[in-house]
Formats: sequence, structure tokens, C-alpha cells
Amino acid sequence: MAEEISESPNDPPPETPPSPPSEPEFDSKTMRKTKPGLKRLFLTFTVLVSFLLGFPFLFKSVEIYRSPLPFHDIDILSNDVVSNPILFPCHFQAIFVPSDPKSSSIDTTGIARNLCLSLYKCGSIRAVDLDFSDDESVDEALESAGFDFGGKVYSVVVVVNGDGVEGVKVVVGKYRHAWIVGRDWGVEEVAERLAEIFVKVFVNGGREEGLIHGEFMPVGADGRIVLSFNLLNADPMDWTYDWDFQKIDETLLAPMIDVLGPIANISVESQVLYYTPKFTFSSWDEKLGGYTLSTKDLPFFVNSNEWHLDTSIAAGGRSKILQFVVYVPSAKECPLLLQLPNGEISKTNAFISPMWGGVMVWNPQSCSRDSDSELVTLILSPEDLQKVFEVFAGQFRQLFGLKSGSLHVGSLDTYSLLASEKGFTEWELDFLSRQHTCFNIHSSATTLGSLSKLVQSLPRMIIMDEIGKQVKFSLEAANLARSNASLGFYDASAVSSRQARSLAEDAFFHPSIMSVSYYSFEHCFAVYSPFFLPVSMHVLLAALREWRRYKQEKAKYLLWKAKEKVAS
Amino acid sequence: MELPSRWVFLLFLLLSSTKAFESEVDKEEFQEELLLKPLPDRKVLAHFHFETRAPPCNSNGLHHHHLFPKSISQMVEKFRVKEMELSFTQGRWNYERWGGFDTMSSNNAKPPGVELWAVFDVPKEQVDASWKNLTHTLSGIFCASINFLESSSMYSAPDWSFRQASGSLRYGMLPREAVCTENLTPWLKLLPCRDKAGISSLMDRPSIYTSLYYSQRLHLTSIASDLEGLNLGIVLEQTLTVVLHPSSQRTGLTHFSQSYLQPSWSLSSIFGRKVNGRCVLAKSSKVYLQLERGLVSQLKKSENYGADYIASEGYDGEANFELSVNPDRVIKEEHSRNGISSSLLYEFSVDKYSNSKPFDLGLTWKFPVIWSCQQAPLHASRFLMGSGNERGAIAILLKSTDLNDSSLVANSAMDGCELRVNIFQVVPWYIRVYYHSLQLFVDDQLKAVGAFVEKIHVMPSKDKISPGMMEMVLKLPCGVKSAALTLDFDKGFLHIDEYPPDANQGFDIPSAAIGFPDFHTSMLFPSNESERKSPMLSKFQESSPVLLYTEVLLVPLTTPDFSMPYNVITITCTVFALYFGSLLNVLRQRVGEKERLLKSKAAAKTGRLSDLLSRLSAKLRGRSQEPMQSASESSPLINSKLALKVLLMAALAVAWQYYFG
Repeated sequence: MAEEISESPNDPPPETPPSPPSEPEFDSKTMRKTKPGLKRLFLTFTVLVSFLLGFPFLFKSVEIYRSPLPFHDIDILSNDVVSNPILFPCHFQAIFVPSDPKSSSIDTTGIARNLCLSLYKCGSIRAVDLDFSDDESVDEALESAGFDFGGKVYSVVVVVNGDGVEGVKVVVGKYRHAWIVGRDWGVEEVAERLAEIFVKVFVNGGREEGLIHGEFMPVGADGRIVLSFNLLNADPMDWTYDWDFQKIDETLLAPMIDVLGPIANISVESQVLYYTPKFTFSSWDEKLGGYTLSTKDLPFFVNSNEWHLDTSIAAGGRSKILQFVVYVPSAKECPLLLQLPNGEISKTNAFISPMWGGVMVWNPQSCSRDSDSELVTLILSPEDLQKVFEVFAGQFRQLFGLKSGSLHVGSLDTYSLLASEKGFTEWELDFLSRQHTCFNIHSSATTLGSLSKLVQSLPRMIIMDEIGKQVKFSLEAANLARSNASLGFYDASAVSSRQARSLAEDAFFHPSIMSVSYYSFEHCFAVYSPFFLPVSMHVLLAALREWRRYKQEKAKYLLWKAKEKVAS
Repeated sequence: MELPSRWVFLLFLLLSSTKAFESEVDKEEFQEELLLKPLPDRKVLAHFHFETRAPPCNSNGLHHHHLFPKSISQMVEKFRVKEMELSFTQGRWNYERWGGFDTMSSNNAKPPGVELWAVFDVPKEQVDASWKNLTHTLSGIFCASINFLESSSMYSAPDWSFRQASGSLRYGMLPREAVCTENLTPWLKLLPCRDKAGISSLMDRPSIYTSLYYSQRLHLTSIASDLEGLNLGIVLEQTLTVVLHPSSQRTGLTHFSQSYLQPSWSLSSIFGRKVNGRCVLAKSSKVYLQLERGLVSQLKKSENYGADYIASEGYDGEANFELSVNPDRVIKEEHSRNGISSSLLYEFSVDKYSNSKPFDLGLTWKFPVIWSCQQAPLHASRFLMGSGNERGAIAILLKSTDLNDSSLVANSAMDGCELRVNIFQVVPWYIRVYYHSLQLFVDDQLKAVGAFVEKIHVMPSKDKISPGMMEMVLKLPCGVKSAALTLDFDKGFLHIDEYPPDANQGFDIPSAAIGFPDFHTSMLFPSNESERKSPMLSKFQESSPVLLYTEVLLVPLTTPDFSMPYNVITITCTVFALYFGSLLNVLRQRVGEKERLLKSKAAAKTGRLSDLLSRLSAKLRGRSQEPMQSASESSPLINSKLALKVLLMAALAVAWQYYFG
């Protein structure tokens, strides 16, 4: 390089003191005779251009890996879920069974049109000699009569002039049937009843407004529920109770868990805890003969310091744990009664806490303690346990947003709902899986939406391939669930919606997203600016100067040229 | 092929028949016990022992618990843990003063910090995964940073020196883990009564955490009763060992100087609490007071002098000390080795006591007694040698404890006068131990290692992947006075983000475990029906090899200035930028033109100041002022100077880069 520099003085126009006398108007300040050199200009521009060319390579080298996410598809899904809610096709049929063929004056097709049912099939019932005072047998008979035509069809049998029934009797069965028995009614009355049964009971699951909101589905993000049953002995010094839970698990819980299979994967565990006092104080009520606890104290009943209910290790990270607690009060507070706001005593002596579980207070038979007798562990009798688990089954239904009672108060009259020994009737399960599908798709859409927002707001966050895959599969599952739902496959859509939700949650809570591994632009700037800032100043200034000088010199040369031309 | 299967069947039959015999009550059960023991250096040892058993049952029953903690059973089931031990320890067990040759020290003396080992019942390739999950679960259950044991550079898989377990054992230690109430509370949560009732209500946090030694241990064993390993029975053993310093109570005796008299104590004086009855859920609830062999023999001696020696079994030491509560039973150890004396256990049952009549055991000494504990055959200590931040050496020193115990003589006579010592040591990877530099000094003389090592297994560390592990069996002559092992090491460099927050404090090398496989400690009690039921005494009856832990070593490593990367980046970048900028400027300099400009300027301006300046600059350039010199003559001179300058600059830049880059 030194050579080059030492050579350089030869390059600029040599001094021209011995200017030829033939050109008289040569001014060395404004003109030059030789062409301006391009060497330095070329050099500085080469440096500048190589810098500019190098920048993309630098950016490439500091780039972080981001798996491409289908942002557009996510947007479509979340918009779709909001603007275009899933429509489940439900098939209804109304069957009119005139006990006396002559008196069947009702225009059935007219009713069907009034109700705007999506499907109407008129079946015929062979066994008209049903005994309508025995609901169970009617239900079984209707089920065995084969009203289902393969698909899931809800049917209401209207029996005019049923024998042995006074007034109007409306019963909803365990399967997908209901029947109305009565006499002397008009078309509107029947139509209204039918509409009410279809809309309120079969479609909306007979739930009341203001109960647990549908968004609180007590199912974990991975589609699992752990039912944790706890027997709490407040003070074992007074008495200790134990239970034979295994038998209960096998006889009572197993069918219920089996039935809820498509909605959630349920596992059961139990434990007995001791020295677990409650958090609030109860007051003695002379009239009721027990210690009472009013509704407003219930939020403070659960004593999280002493009740080591524990999250389950057996359950995965995002399973939902529902705690069911049997509280055995100590002798100091023995008949412990829960008082309703209207002053009455709660029949079940239990309460639920949405998304957490339920608590039941179980009072021992006799509250007096024999201080002399040896302390032995008492076992809850099977009858008591049966009672306790009836309450728990009701609480479990309530946590799912269903009614715990067997009566539904309609606008015209009260309907009696037949309870299934499995805890959930078939039409309720249909309702639950519909609701569950909706909830899951909604939840996966919102999760994916927030994921895409997060990813787009942090442009320098690493996104692993796995996340991209999970998002893709989640979208696929969600779309599959939507298409299944619109075709009426409830179970399949429930399963794939569950998959969509769990995949979306997996993607959102992926450990690589949670870690602070993203490499911010500020950091990049701080690392590279000490070099590139001063160097770029030099390079740019040099290029600019050379360019200006070249222009100047060229102008000088051109001027000389012009002069020369004029002179010649 | 047929024979083994028939054997297995027979074994199974045998097992099932014993099961049927034993499990008349096939229920979970819980037992609580406390052992108190006066120590020779005026301290008191309190050892709480809780045992919860879950009987084997079918897999479904595993999810339903009555007394057994749900979390532990779920953990065992999920990770298929065959055996596991977790200990949290504060302080160091003083082997010289508190004994090194009894069941207490070899089972309950633990290294400081957290020690965890587990044996899994899974195929070998899944063991590591199970271990990782287990550490996370335990750290969640016990509110401790056990999850740091997850990384493969923190745990090792000893083959035979620590415990016999074919490849499915993992062992890890966290020497710096602080132990406090937040670890005790979850531990107590596993007990059905927690610390609400029973013996555990003695655990007054201020008094147990000011103790000289505190070790909280959880040991679990799962027994698969059928061959598929589905039916699990779990035995959960929780112990808490504390060494307390009783503040001496004034007694009426003044004719002996107080300084010789052992301090008298009671439960309420050392714990500040009394036992208000048993935990109602416990099958048995007992307190034991142990007088060890040395003490009993001393008491007997003094009583012989006092001539009121009672030959019958009873309160042997009544003349020397007084108990505030009459014991329910006295158990005398059956000394198998026809020794001079055997230790005594006073048993107190807590069942009779209640809130109105609390149990408060007190011990008052009347005469001074001085005794000593049984020592392990060799006393072990470990220390660092060398200085500086580059290299050093680890030395393990085994010293004879001047043991004139007949048992040692008997043992060594059998073995042809050889003393076998197991050494198990794990060293983190940044301490790069050169195992070839192993040197052995026996009785201060350098000896060939091969002559004394019976078996050695070394796993050199891999940087950031696995720690170095050394397992070794030494065979020393029984009359050895001292033996020392040294190992040289280099200190490694850690990556900047691998340093802990307090890097300047130094790094801990976990304790080494020294075992004496030929020496077993066990206490034999007369085989009585009632003793069989006490889990603590049956634990004492089990023969366990003598094991002791050495000190934790603190190694200072070079710690960098943690803002260094940015400083380095800034400095090198600035230098580069300077170099680059000046090079560019030099490249595009037009020397001839500059000269001409200067000259014309000089011609134009003839002010005094400018003249002076030009003269000064000329002088600086080391050239006599020759204003009238022709440019053609001067320019080559300038050029060579400039070239020199540029060269200098480049050399400077290279030097900077070399030294600071």
C-alpha cells in the first residue's frame, strides 16, 4: 500500500508552472488540462459498495430462526369463530299418538310447519297401551321401539287422551325422548309445549340462565379432568372417619366417567386428611339445634393453609383438577349446617365453587363424644357414602352447567326429567359435547390469535419448528371439528376440537417461547454500533468528498476543453 | 429353564404366604418414634423417626389413600422409583465426638446441603429421563432447588462403591443448598398429623434450626409384590436428626464443680415444648432414651466404686442420673461380640399422656461422667493443596483413630490383617482432575498405588456434560497409622453465563463418601414380639456398613469481570474503526496537491502568525526551513516519511488486535 501511496503523487496533475505560452488564458484555479483521475473515486466507491453489499450478509448472520406461522389462516379462523358461529344440525320429530283414532283432530303437519323443524318424520307407535304412570317403563319402551333412525333424533311423543293421567304431564326421558300426555288442548298449546321442550331442554340442556356461564368448562387444556376426592377430619381427637373409596370408584364413578369419555378424559384419586379446621366460625342456632354458617361466609370456608388438597402429580401440567371435599366437623361444631339466604337449612349441606369443585359438610350421627372410649377410626357406612356421592354427582353436573334437580319449570307447567343412573342422560351429553366443541374451538381460536399477535409483536423472538407444527395441526383439527360439527357428528367434533385446543395451548406455552431467549434489536445495535458507526462515517464522507472533488475537477477540465476548442 | 421358573414360582408362593401371614390388617399404617441420646460433649441428640407404610394393593388402589401421602405415592408410581433417599442437612456431623461407629452416624449423618439418590425400576435407557423428572417433582414438593440436579453435569451413576444397584442408581448432591423451614413444612405435610399432634409437635422451629446439626431425611422403598411390578407397597421413612445444646439447668448439687457435670435437660428445656399426647392416627408412639455403650460401662464402673451396684436389670444408672418419668420398659442390647457392656434403651410410651398431662422427659445428672463414643476405624478428612487460580490438588487423609476396639482386631484377624476402604468421590467438571496423578502415601511414605488398590473405577469428566467420578476400594494393612491420597487438578473456565450469582465465593466440591465394607453396625435386641413392631429399632437391628462423609471443599475459580464481553466488543470495535478510517483517509490523500496548496497559501499569506506556524510545522517535520526549495526535490522525502507513519499505524493496530482482540 505504501508503494501505491508513494506512487500517487504522479497521478494528480503535475504542477504546470511552465505553461506553454501558446495558451494564453489558462487559469490554474478554474481549469485543468488533464482528465481528472478516477483511481480514488473508484477506490472509495468500491469500499462503500462492498459495505453496502456486506450488510445483507450481516443481517443474515444475526438472523434468528423463526418458523413461518400461518398468520393468515389464524386470522381467518378467529374471524370465522366470531362472525360465523358453528351451527349444529339437530333433528327433531314430533309424534302424535291418538289413543282414540277418532279424536285425533289435530293437524300434525301444521304443527310441524309452525315449529320450523329441520326434520320431521312421522313414526308410528305400535304399543299404544303404554302405562303413563310409570315413566321409566315408558322411556324404555320408546327407546326400544326404535325411534332413532340411525342419527341422533330428538322426539316428542304427544299422546292425546292418555288414560290415568290428570291434566297435562310432560316427561323428558333418559334417552332422546319426551312425551306429553293429556287431553283437551288446542293446537297452539301443544305447539308451544313442543317448542319449549325442543328449545329449552333438548337444545339448551335445560339449564337456567344465570347459572355457571358456558365459558367455564371445567376441562383442562389437555382435555383431562382429575377428580380429587378428599375426606377431611377437622379434629381427629374427637373422631376420625375413613371411607372405602375404592368400592365407590368402581360402582358409582366408573359409569359416569365412561359416559363422559368423549368430552374429557377423567381420572379419580382420593385421600383422607386430618387436622383440617375450616376457616370461618359458625354460630349456634338454638332453633335449628346446630351450628349454622350463612351463605356469605362460604367464600371463607375453604382453609387453604390447612387443607393440603394438593395438585396431583399423576395429572399432566394442564389438566383440570376438581376437588370434592367431605368435611367432617369436630365435636365443637358438630351439627354444622349451611344456612340459605332465606333462613332455611340447605338440604344437601353442600356448596360448589365454579372451576374449583364442591364441598359437602357431613355430620356424624351423634355429635356427642365418648371421652372414655378408645379412639377408633370409623368407616363411613355405604348408605352415607351413597348419599354423599349423590350430592357430589349433582355438584359435578352443576359444575358442567347442568341442572342438579329432576324438575324443569317451563312456562306452562313443570316437566319432570328422568335421571340416568350414569349421572348424565343422553340428550344432556349431546348438549355437553356441543357446548364443549364450541368452547374448545373458541378457546383454540383465541389462543392461536394471541400467539400470532405475540409473535408478530416480537420480531426477534425465536420460534421453533415444533411450534409451527403445533399451530398447523391445531388449525387443521379446528377446521375438522367445525366441518364435523356442521355435519352433525358430535363425538368426532368434540374429540378433534379437544385436540385443537390442547395443541394450541401447547404451542402457546412452549418452553422456548416462555424463555427469555430472544435477541433484541437493541442488543444487536449495541454490539455492532461501535464498529459500524465510525466506519460508516468515514466511508460515506470519503465517498462524498471524492465525488464532489471529481465533479469539480471534471468541470475544470471541461472548461479547459471548451477554451481549447474555442482557441483552436 | 424349567428349574428357575419353578423356583420363581416357589419364591412367589413363599412371598405370598408370608404376606398373608403378615398382612392381617391390610391397611396403611403410621408410626412415630423419638430417640434421645446424651452425647459425650454435653450435647443431646434427638432423632425423630416416622414411618408410613402403604400395603401392596392393585393398581387402582394406588389412587386412594387413607394415611399415606398422595403425592409420594403418585411420584413413586409415575417414575417407578424403587428406592430413594433425599436429605437436607445443615451443619456437619462431628464424627469424633458424636460417634462414627453406630447406626445413627452411618445412616443419619449426611453431607451438608442436599443429597439425593434414587434407584429406578425402569429400563436402563430411561433411567436418566426418570431422574430428571423426579428432580423436578421433588423440587416442587420440597420447595428446594433440587431441579438443578437435572443437568447431566450434576449427577453421576456410581456402580458399586456407594450402593449396589446395577446401573439404575443416580446420585446427586447440592452442597450449597440452604435448608430452612420452607423445606421442613412440606416434609411435615407428608405426616398424617403434621405437627399438630404427637411427637412431631416438639419441632419448635427456632430451637431446631439453631441446633448444631440438622438433618432431615426422607427414605422410601417400594416393594413390588407381583412379578409385573404392578402392585406396589411403599415404605416411607422420614427422619429428622438434630444435635442440640442444652442450656445447663442449675441443680442442687454443689459438691461437684459444674463444669464436669453433664448438663441436665428436659424436653421442654431443649425444645421449648412438651408432648401433648400421641398422634391419634399413629399405630404406636414411643420415645426412647439411649445410653450408649461407653456411657453404660462408665456408669457401671462408677457404681462399682460406690458399692451399690444393682446386678439386676433395671435402672442401672439410677445412682448417677435421675429420670423425671419412669420408663415403661428397659431394653438391653444383646452384645454379640461379648464386649464389656451393651447400650441401654429406656422406652416411654406416649399413649398415656394427654393435653392435661403432657409428657416431659427430663434427665438430671448427679455425678459427672466422662465417656467417649465409638469411632470409625479411620478418621477421614479432605483438603485442598496448592495455590493460585490455575491448578491445585485434592487430598484425602485417612487417619487411624487409635482404636483399641476388640472388634477391629477380630475383624482384621479374619481378613488377614487388611482394612478395606471404599472411596466414592464426585468432582464437578470444571475441576479437571488428572487421575493419572493419583498418589498414595501410607504412613507418610509414597507407595505404589497398585499395591493397595483392590478395585478402581474412574469416569473422567466431560466438559459441561458429566462430572468426574472416582470409585475405589483401598486395601490397607490394619496397623496403618495414616493413609493419604492426592489427585492433581486444573481449574477449568466456565462460560460467562454458567457462573452462579455469587461467583467470587468459590465453587463447592461435594463431600466424598468413605465406607468401610468390612465393618457393620447393628444393635441386637432380645427378640421380643413388641420390638419387631418398632420400625426404628428394627432399623437399628439391620446391619449397615460404616459410612462417613468428608468435608465439602471450596475451590476459588477465576471469575471474570461480567461486563467484559461488552467492554471487549467496544474496545476492539473502536480500534478497528480507527484503523479502518485512517487507512481510508491515507489511501485517498493527495500529497502533491496538498503540498502545492500549502505553498500557495504560504505565498499568499505572509502574516507573522502563519509564518510562525509554518515554520513550526516545518520544524516538527524535522526539516530545516527551506521555503524556497523546489517541490520536486522535497516530495519524495515526504512520501517516505508518510509511508513510515502508515506502517507504524498498521503495526500499532496489529499490536492492539493481538493483545486486546
